[in-house]
Amino acid sequence: MELNFQKAFAKLGPSLLDGVGIVVYITLAGFACALVAALLIAIGRLSKSRVLDRILSIFIELIRGTPLLVQFFYIYYVVPMLINGISAAMGYHTNVQLEASTCGIIGFAINYGCYMSEVIRSAILAIDPGQREAGLALGFSEGQVLFGFIIPPALRNSVPVFGNYLVMLIKDTSLLAMISVQELLLRTKTFASQTFLTVEAYTILALVYLVISIPLSQLSRLVERRLKRVR
Amino acid sequence: MVMLEIKNLSKFFGDLEVLRDVNMAVEKGEVVVVIGPSGSGKSTMLRCINLLEQPSGGEILYQGKDITHLGRQVTDYRKHVGMVFQRFNLFPLKTVLDNVCYAPMKLNKLPAKDAKEQAMALLKKVGLESKAGVYPAALSGGQQQRVAIARALAMQPELMLFDEPTSALDPELVGDVLEVMKQLAGEGMTMVVVTHEMGFARDVADRVIFMDGGYIVEENTPVEIFTSPKNDRTRSFLARVL
Repeated sequence: MELNFQKAFAKLGPSLLDGVGIVVYITLAGFACALVAALLIAIGRLSKSRVLDRILSIFIELIRGTPLLVQFFYIYYVVPMLINGISAAMGYHTNVQLEASTCGIIGFAINYGCYMSEVIRSAILAIDPGQREAGLALGFSEGQVLFGFIIPPALRNSVPVFGNYLVMLIKDTSLLAMISVQELLLRTKTFASQTFLTVEAYTILALVYLVISIPLSQLSRLVERRLKRVR
Repeated sequence: MVMLEIKNLSKFFGDLEVLRDVNMAVEKGEVVVVIGPSGSGKSTMLRCINLLEQPSGGEILYQGKDITHLGRQVTDYRKHVGMVFQRFNLFPLKTVLDNVCYAPMKLNKLPAKDAKEQAMALLKKVGLESKAGVYPAALSGGQQQRVAIARALAMQPELMLFDEPTSALDPELVGDVLEVMKQLAGEGMTMVVVTHEMGFARDVADRVIFMDGGYIVEENTPVEIFTSPKNDRTRSFLARVL
């Protein structure tokens, strides 16, 4: 077997670099949206409304019970059809199309939002109820107590778990190859099928993922240790 | 002048009746100490006073006004009533100084400079001005409790509630906290103190209330209650703890 890494790297490298840009963009945007979604879902589930809690927990079950890849397909293909179909039924003509990378961000926001909401929720429940009482006794409202004394320490305690989810999310961007996002896997696949440098191409791809994810998990471990030390 | 008046207060947790027909009044500047066995309802009564527990029945009059149905205005009422908890409940992510000056800055819109000055003065009062910059986790229980007292005082309350403030402390740390409370009483602060410290009750209280089984069994001056308790249950409780 003859291997030609040099040639593969020279041709695939620049393309992958572009792909990394897309991956970073989708990761950052998706993770930020997921955090916001997670916080909202967690607060909703902890609110006094039983109905809201029930609806959200069913929604979380739906999302956790289906594969992320299926969700991407659903958002990319089905949701635009539904929107166009419903508006046609109401007498409007629309031609909604979602860009693939936008679908990726939406999908991550929903999927990771659901998983991380459970992290935040249990972190909130783990905060000593005495914190709430101390805040109330000083004259703060329930809302001020929640955002001033409960959520900040809960988020802080969740940071190590968030780090793991961030690394997972980066790797899960490879699923977006299936809905035509020009990320790393799709670029590699195209390259491999054109040049037959299959071994080289996929080896380089794996290495690129490692180069991104290993430093990140190291960083999250460092942050975790830092947080422990301050307290 | 009567500052606080409790009329026919009752409290249920589900079917469990923890307070029944509690009546008492606190004069301005008075120190009332509440004693009694655990489960007698003393903490619940204290928590009803600043509405951490919603009373099931009866009235609580603060300066003549019923405060049991304030709705959202309850926060304004609570600003006038300081509370110190058994477990201190300091904010762990804030420094000692920020623990003390945060509430006046946020709630009373006190400028940061004034709030800090006031906080430092209060920390000095409780003997902890040297700890202003550290986090609560670095303090002993007794020090944390003194910071908690300073934090409550920072809102300049007219009434202070103490919920077993020394029960979670190592014995050798109790004295410093009681000393601060004594000093506060000497300055004329109106205080309701739930405690097991009989020495404090005897030395500092203007009036001692003995609770058992959810209602007030006996109330009297400390001298009367400790030397000649009228009720059998008071007598047997005191015989066990003294």
